[in-house]
Amino acid sequence: MITAIARKEFAEIVRDGRFKWTAAIMVLLLLTAMMAGYQKYSTAVRIQQAAQAGTNEQWLDQGDKNPHSAVHYGNYAFKPAGPLSYFDSGISNYTGTAVFLEGHRQNFSTGRPASDQSAIARFGDLSGANILQLLLPLLIIFLGFTAFSGERESGTLRQVMSMGVTNRQLLWGKALGVGFAVTIVVVPCILIGTGVLALAESTDHAEGMFMRVSALTIAYVMYAGIFLFLTLAVSAHTTHARTTLMILIGFWAFTGFLMPKAASEISKFTHPTPAFGKWMADMKAHQRRGIDGTPPFVKFAAYTKELFKEYGVNSVGELPMYFVAVRLQKLEEYDYPVFDQHFGYIRDTYTKQRKVQDTIGIVAPTLPLRSISMALSGTDMINHVKFMTDAETYRRNMVLKMNDYLSKASVHLNETFAADNYMVADEEVFAIIPPFEYEPPRLAPMFAAHSSNFAMLFFWLLLSIGMAMVTSNRISMERN
Amino acid sequence: MLKLIISHEARQIARTSALWSILVLLVGAIIFAAWSGGRSIERQVVGAQAATEYEDGLRHHLREGTKKYAAKVEAEGGEYQFAMVRHAPGSGPPQGTNAGAVGAETSKFVTLPPTGLAALSVGQSDIQLNYLPVSLATTLDVTKWLELENPVSLAVGSFDIAFVVIFLLPIFILAMSYDLLSSEKERGTLAMILAHPISVRELMASKIISRAAVMLAVVLSFGVIALLTVGTGLDTADTWIRFSLWIVATLLYSAFWFALAVLVNVYGKNSASNGTVLAGIWLILVVIVPQMVSMLATTIYPAPSRMELTIAARQAQTEAEKNAMAKLDEYYYDHLEFVPEGDKKAMDFLTLAQANANSIEKAVRPLYDNFQDQLNKQEELVTRFQYLSPAIMMQLALNEVSGTSADRYEHFLHQVYAFHVEWRAYFSTKFLQRYPLKPEDYDAFPEFEYQEEAFAAVMNRLVPSLLGMLILFLGVVLVPFIALRNYQVAAR
Repeated sequence: MITAIARKEFAEIVRDGRFKWTAAIMVLLLLTAMMAGYQKYSTAVRIQQAAQAGTNEQWLDQGDKNPHSAVHYGNYAFKPAGPLSYFDSGISNYTGTAVFLEGHRQNFSTGRPASDQSAIARFGDLSGANILQLLLPLLIIFLGFTAFSGERESGTLRQVMSMGVTNRQLLWGKALGVGFAVTIVVVPCILIGTGVLALAESTDHAEGMFMRVSALTIAYVMYAGIFLFLTLAVSAHTTHARTTLMILIGFWAFTGFLMPKAASEISKFTHPTPAFGKWMADMKAHQRRGIDGTPPFVKFAAYTKELFKEYGVNSVGELPMYFVAVRLQKLEEYDYPVFDQHFGYIRDTYTKQRKVQDTIGIVAPTLPLRSISMALSGTDMINHVKFMTDAETYRRNMVLKMNDYLSKASVHLNETFAADNYMVADEEVFAIIPPFEYEPPRLAPMFAAHSSNFAMLFFWLLLSIGMAMVTSNRISMERN
Repeated sequence: MLKLIISHEARQIARTSALWSILVLLVGAIIFAAWSGGRSIERQVVGAQAATEYEDGLRHHLREGTKKYAAKVEAEGGEYQFAMVRHAPGSGPPQGTNAGAVGAETSKFVTLPPTGLAALSVGQSDIQLNYLPVSLATTLDVTKWLELENPVSLAVGSFDIAFVVIFLLPIFILAMSYDLLSSEKERGTLAMILAHPISVRELMASKIISRAAVMLAVVLSFGVIALLTVGTGLDTADTWIRFSLWIVATLLYSAFWFALAVLVNVYGKNSASNGTVLAGIWLILVVIVPQMVSMLATTIYPAPSRMELTIAARQAQTEAEKNAMAKLDEYYYDHLEFVPEGDKKAMDFLTLAQANANSIEKAVRPLYDNFQDQLNKQEELVTRFQYLSPAIMMQLALNEVSGTSADRYEHFLHQVYAFHVEWRAYFSTKFLQRYPLKPEDYDAFPEFEYQEEAFAAVMNRLVPSLLGMLILFLGVVLVPFIALRNYQVAAR
């Protein structure tokens, strides 16, 4: 019986003009988005690899100079595109793409693509993810809103009920019919997308491509299921097809357009992001003052005394290491906790904001899906934070190694310290620092961070199925 | 008759609970948007203030040093000297006497003030840093900073009044008017009404006018309330001129959506299919077309890669450093008057650093201009393609009206570049002459004051969007106006 209902529903949908139009638009957009996304992605990968190789070469070829001057010359970390960024560009247009790694300073990433785009880029990216998040639900609504209420209006629902069909059979038959119609529109596109994926050389630097794609598929199927059953639930509940449509479109606009923005504003209210100018001024002042209120130069004076005591010497000249280098490194290290605190504050704020936004997913299923999609595509904040952390670790190591080298190699200069008397190192010394390599975050912690989002989607799916069962159960001969 | 119908419609609308919920939602959205827009602009102002205060504080500190030094020189006699060493030791002249140090180690923050309406349309102002540190560093160093904000929030965009007007208002308008005629027809009341001495045109007009009046009264009155609470510069004519343009834009945009609902009602079938068609059109005009145009713009005129720019700037720096001596010669060749007496080449660190910055600036400037060129071309393309979607026209118009457009920012940047040149010239000249900065010189440092764009320039960019919306509206409204003469009441 269920299959008969499904077949009828499917045939009816496919014969309708609505289906042809929406399906054609959907396929066209998905393919365009995937192609454009892939083209952008491959350019980004090529440029990033060239740039990272270029900066490593420049580091080695910077010319003979003092190791500490080399630290000032510094190096760059360039952010690789996320492994599935051509499907979901996530936040990659809105984060910087390059970090300058130099002595004395922890830098933000610079070069945000959105700054080089026109104002209408703010309408959003035409990406595969965006289409599936916004257009797919609308497609489902369009194809399914008349399932019950349309039949009710035309009087056929009563007839069907009189044939001894149970409410449950009716519901699942309709779900199957609409679901199949949606599937034959979306799946070919997904297959083509996967084909593109096979072409992409992104698989080599990302862990578990198969896992990523499967988890993404599960998330999107759940999301589609939520809208399918919600559509059927509302359709079974309402008397007129137009009311069904208005309620569903209202909900669609609410979860897809209104809530993402509202959630972002709410999260900015509960955990305000500091303004750049204020944050910068606070951090610089904190650096001068010292992490614990003791200024760095005071700390260093105390450290010098200790050092003299430790080596049993009375003057810099007798120290077994180059004092200037020790000073440079120490002053560098006094700043680390300050950087950690202030940069950490921003990172924590962003994480808390994400959690608030995810929680708001309890009223809008698009939010948890969006988070999952970005994370698995490698274009969310977790990925960006990992990149920034790797870059900072690399920077601190670079500074330490160069100062260390200087400290050992220039001991003899202690006695004759002067501005024009310094050691000059060459490429061989600079080669102590290995090229920067970024390791994308592991999948396991990412799944852990987003387990609540998966749970949220699952909750929504159960809720919508439950609602559909309740409302379709209420359908009876007498009331129609 | 028209009056009668309108008052009847108004009574009917007032008794529909759906309408009240729509209005409540709309008002709620406007209040929320005004609040969040206000917060966003306030944050920018706070950031600019804190940054300015900090850097001014640093300069103040340096000035205090020179004051003490001046007093000491006065008391003990001797010459007021220049601190040759950058990190001056305790006894000698303080660092504040060294113009090179003052210019390089402190920044002058230059600020783009928000217009009175900025809180109503945040536009691009959340990704443009509205306060930039000008120092002896290169242009790249001046413009590389970004405002802090969660990238996820930037990606979804602000919930400002522009969003409410562009995205939500059409949904509300369509929800109110998608079944104007079709519902009467479905209920069978249309034939009855038309039995009275009234034409379909009149009926339609009165239905639309009553709905539009309610809707726009709400939007405009809450718009005024929003302006009064989160707007700034309420005592200036500029704010009110901008606000009246905001009203014009909002009226034109809403008129288009009402006209569209009428059009679909005239040609549509039943209410449900009207709803589907209108929702589809909304999606295409407000979401898909803008995204397509944006994709087109970035594909045809892609911005050069920032990564490549970084590498190129680096190359210039490396070469500059390797040829330090030669560059220094070249530098002094440009400024023969500054060659210090006694030694032909001052090998001190700051001079070198400046020579380097100079050559990097020279090498990178053309690359940098390339970004602005491509961005301008993208904007041009968007300007040309805006007529495809009223949402694009409206967004551009609101950004212009609120002063949060890319063009106003570019206008600001040009002033910053000019000021940067002035600032550099002031400090590097004093430094190369080894002129010791005196406390009173601190009052004579170059000052920056943003010069607002000419109003005509804003109008030049605004008028095409407004005209485009007007023409689109007229085009859409004319068709049903003609078609309604032969409207068939009987179900087709």
